[in-house]
Amino acid sequence: MIELAVSRLNKRFGGNHVLKNVSFEVKGAEMIGLIGPNGAGKTTLTNVLDGAVKPNSGTVYLNGKRIDQLPSFEVAKTGLGRTFQVTRSFRRMTVLENLYVPALALGKSHSGDEVRQQAMEVLEFFTMEHLRNEYARALSGGQQKLLELGRLLMLDPDIIILDEPFAGVHPKMMEVIYEYIRRVNERGKAMIIISHQMDSIFALCERLLVLDYGDLIADDVPEAVKNDPVVIEAYLGATEDRSGTGQNDAAGTT
Amino acid sequence: MTFFVAFPFVYTGGNYDYIMHICIVGFFYAILASSWSMLAGYAGQFSFGHMAFMGVGAYTTALFCHYFFISPEPTGICTEFALGGNYLIIKNPIGVTSTTLTQDCLAQAMEKWDGAVAITRMPVWLGVIFGSLVGGIFGLLIGLLVLRLRAAYLALFTLGFSEILRATISAEIQITRGQAGIELPSLFENGITIAGHVFSKTDKIPPYFVMFFLLLGCLVILYWLSRSRFGLFVRALREDQDAAAALGVNTTRYKVLVFVITSMMAALAGAVQAHYVTIITPNNLMILQMSLVVAMAVIAGVENFVAAAIGAILIEFTLEMLRTSFTIGDVTIDMTLWRLVFFGVVLMLTLRFARNGLLATLIDYFRRGHVAAETVARHKERGPSDSVPSEAGRQGAPS
Repeated sequence: MIELAVSRLNKRFGGNHVLKNVSFEVKGAEMIGLIGPNGAGKTTLTNVLDGAVKPNSGTVYLNGKRIDQLPSFEVAKTGLGRTFQVTRSFRRMTVLENLYVPALALGKSHSGDEVRQQAMEVLEFFTMEHLRNEYARALSGGQQKLLELGRLLMLDPDIIILDEPFAGVHPKMMEVIYEYIRRVNERGKAMIIISHQMDSIFALCERLLVLDYGDLIADDVPEAVKNDPVVIEAYLGATEDRSGTGQNDAAGTT
Repeated sequence: MTFFVAFPFVYTGGNYDYIMHICIVGFFYAILASSWSMLAGYAGQFSFGHMAFMGVGAYTTALFCHYFFISPEPTGICTEFALGGNYLIIKNPIGVTSTTLTQDCLAQAMEKWDGAVAITRMPVWLGVIFGSLVGGIFGLLIGLLVLRLRAAYLALFTLGFSEILRATISAEIQITRGQAGIELPSLFENGITIAGHVFSKTDKIPPYFVMFFLLLGCLVILYWLSRSRFGLFVRALREDQDAAAALGVNTTRYKVLVFVITSMMAALAGAVQAHYVTIITPNNLMILQMSLVVAMAVIAGVENFVAAAIGAILIEFTLEMLRTSFTIGDVTIDMTLWRLVFFGVVLMLTLRFARNGLLATLIDYFRRGHVAAETVARHKERGPSDSVPSEAGRQGAPS
């Protein structure tokens, strides 16, 4: 079973204490939302979990293996994949080449048909197979986002962290991403979704982590978090004021 | 390829040696430009140190051939080690002044022996191999040092390294003979007989084929690398180092590897070229020389090593052909100087209007010209919906 254990993580950038004793666990194919106002430390937490940034203290274990001091590529191979807040496709490489990178990094051979077959299945899911030989830079912003998600399928990690997957995405394409998240989760993968779009978070997640200026102020089911006065004060209150609960419910129907 | 193999045998025009010389130099630049295109174009490591690695190869073999000898007898005055039944003699450095030229320990010992003892030079091929290996070691060190540097910082760092190396070689007159340069034995010091034909050490055909096959070997290796996972990973590294690492690519390993491999190629070319022209001076490491390699690769196409190689040969030829001065009315145009202006203008126009390079754009047109039409055709086949999973797609779970 998938097991991520984050214990007392601290990260400082100069005098800015970005993560303060953050601890939580992920067990099994959980669907977790990670929310918090800007500057809460969400992306830093992602960077620390993925090995791009080393914590000042604390530990991270993935499936029993300590990963907090490993470089990114080893964390990826251990089973943690992530997307970036700003889409980072390999722009001057073809769509297929973008998908080959993680598969080959895992040691698969690209001389046979297996990797190509797998890549084509991913593209078919996103109905992007006709774009396979185009450079990624020729794709629209939304398509590049899908390509980034497709690369994660090729990496096939146990835990996937999606950093703002719905930012700037058309509602139609949002459906594709919802579908993707549900399918991947059904296959037994745990997911941590960072988003400011509460509708999507409440529609998809069964558990929420709330960060506020580096503190993990809540870790509970969405209903409990929604009514938590500390969270409301720190973050949700403002959102509730702006959008109301009706919109959240509407998201749940998609 | 057939053209270049046949060229020395079918060329009957004038200035045979000069034309062959241009070819050899063209091949030399082609190795540098194509290996630099792998480093800068494929891997995105915009290094200005490539000519320095060339210099490392050239100076390694130069110093090796200049200072190391094999003698059946010990000199008693040089640094020497027993080696099998012989002695490895290391000559003492004496600098460049003419009064001291005969003051090295080996010259003194030979004077004493009065021709009774035959001294053997180190084989050129061994020096070339050492040159390439030392180039690789320097590439490894620089690769490790620039791991965290990107774009302009990497360019500045390698520029600094290049200038430091050149200044060090210039300053260490005692050992490197400074600006005077070190003379090297010819590639085939005693001539060579191929298929019954005797070539002297000044004949152009043997070095022509040595440099040509060296270029061919480098291109084959670069082709193999570009088609392998190495090629894919270094391009991913160029595009986005962090994203590549997050997808499982050991970016450190590939960044260092690409430096080592391309440095070894540059050093190999430098070592062979130094033995061909039989002298190496610090001026060969000048930034102007590096700019020439960069310009050759950029004009032809820095993201395509074949284009860079062909471009280097063509540009070398063009630059030589443009040497012919001419007069317009009373004004004489000295093309030995103006040709570089012409070259600079071509570079600027290429950067402005064909950023991928002239040859690479052409190659891309033939290789990828059909892609857009195919995409449109497939799109029409599939129907108008855009980027929303089709029913068929939705049925199949992502795998």
